[in-house]
Amino acid sequence: MASKRLGRTQDATNLVLTSLSAGPKHGYAIIKDIEDMSGVSFGPGTLYGVLARLEEEGLVEPLEADGPRRPYRITALGAAALRERLEANVKVANIGFARLGTLGS
Amino acid sequence: MKRSTLVDAAFGCYPAWWRERYEEEVRAVSSDLIEAGRSPFRVAINLFGGAVRTGTFAKGMPKVYELWATRTRVSIASATLPWLLMGPLLLIMTSGQSLHSSLGRVLPPSLPMFGNPDLELIGKGAGPFVLAPPLAPAASTVIHAGLAISILFLVTFVVMIAGWSSLREAIRSSDATNRRRLRLLVWVPAVSVLLDIALSIVQSKSRPSIYGSLTPNGPSVALNGHQGVVHALGIVLPIVAIVGWFLSIVCIAIAAKRVNAAPVDLRFGRSVSVVVAFLLACLLTAYVAWGIGLVMQAREAAHGSFTTLSYTHQGLWIPVVVLLSITVVASAFFAGTARRSWKVIASDRWSAGATALHT
Repeated sequence: MASKRLGRTQDATNLVLTSLSAGPKHGYAIIKDIEDMSGVSFGPGTLYGVLARLEEEGLVEPLEADGPRRPYRITALGAAALRERLEANVKVANIGFARLGTLGS
Repeated sequence: MKRSTLVDAAFGCYPAWWRERYEEEVRAVSSDLIEAGRSPFRVAINLFGGAVRTGTFAKGMPKVYELWATRTRVSIASATLPWLLMGPLLLIMTSGQSLHSSLGRVLPPSLPMFGNPDLELIGKGAGPFVLAPPLAPAASTVIHAGLAISILFLVTFVVMIAGWSSLREAIRSSDATNRRRLRLLVWVPAVSVLLDIALSIVQSKSRPSIYGSLTPNGPSVALNGHQGVVHALGIVLPIVAIVGWFLSIVCIAIAAKRVNAAPVDLRFGRSVSVVVAFLLACLLTAYVAWGIGLVMQAREAAHGSFTTLSYTHQGLWIPVVVLLSITVVASAFFAGTARRSWKVIASDRWSAGATALHT
């Protein structure tokens, strides 16, 4: 339950960018990947809100549509932004683990 | 409602540009999710939430001047028109003042806007100069809040007239083919007010001023005027006023949505919407204070001999506070949207009439 709650508060942008960093995916594949990766269930309204924003910011780009399903790809700018965000998260995570370790001892 | 209909309804809540760009994809994703076992109801609720966010923040909206200008205009209209609904309602709510005390009815029937006359008890058979109990201390809150409501109404009215003039100017300087029709629409509020004034004058002039008896012991009847006209206008005038009022709101909304306004007019409209939203919030504060004052003076009168103020429609205070609060939130929300949309237009240095200016 606690992990589910933690999952819900995770940054949607990070999740979508992380999913796309493995290669281009269409909407449903992104939702499934995020669900497998973090346990967070994105709805279509949420996902396309994030995708529209990321597309506007130039962090992802749409590819040629395959029927009604259009794949999205992370851009170089998106990859750099994701790297920066993950490094910040890792830094906070390391500090957090270190402090938890101190509390434990 | 069937669940698939609910999903369709959710798609209907998205703006046209979004549907053109994303609807096919999102429908495919929604179908895949439902086929995989996700509840259609949950999908629809998520889509409704997405529609609200898309409407609010317009993320991904193409950088086309017409789209952003329309969004700004609609936001300006949505932020300002609620005042047209609530302003007159508040004036009605705070009208119909009368004075009462535990000892009986009090004269004058209502207080003047400024100053506090001697209050006089009536119906006690003790002559015309028996002083009534003093006004309850909280009555001053009611009086000042009532005064604030009137002043705020007038100030907002002036701001709205400035906005209306700007809309007229925007229509005049636009190159739209339907300019003449839009100009007619924008004049509907003025025509409506003039018609109300004209009918009121006719009613007043038709009212009898001389009464007398036609026979020595006969009943007193009107010797001049047109009672039939007065009676007919008594029915027609409120209907004309209410229909004209709603028609004005609709016509202004249509004109604001359709006129191809230049950035300078949009900037002015945005400022008007922000000011009106702020004044509407002040109006809510004053109205809440007015109602609290009424409650407090009733309590004071219950514990001492005081004269209190009462109003014909004061029983509707709470429902009107709720309605006004919703209006204030809606107005502030749309003023914020107008501000953000204008920022996008200003940041891209778009010019009027241009289409795709940002690639």
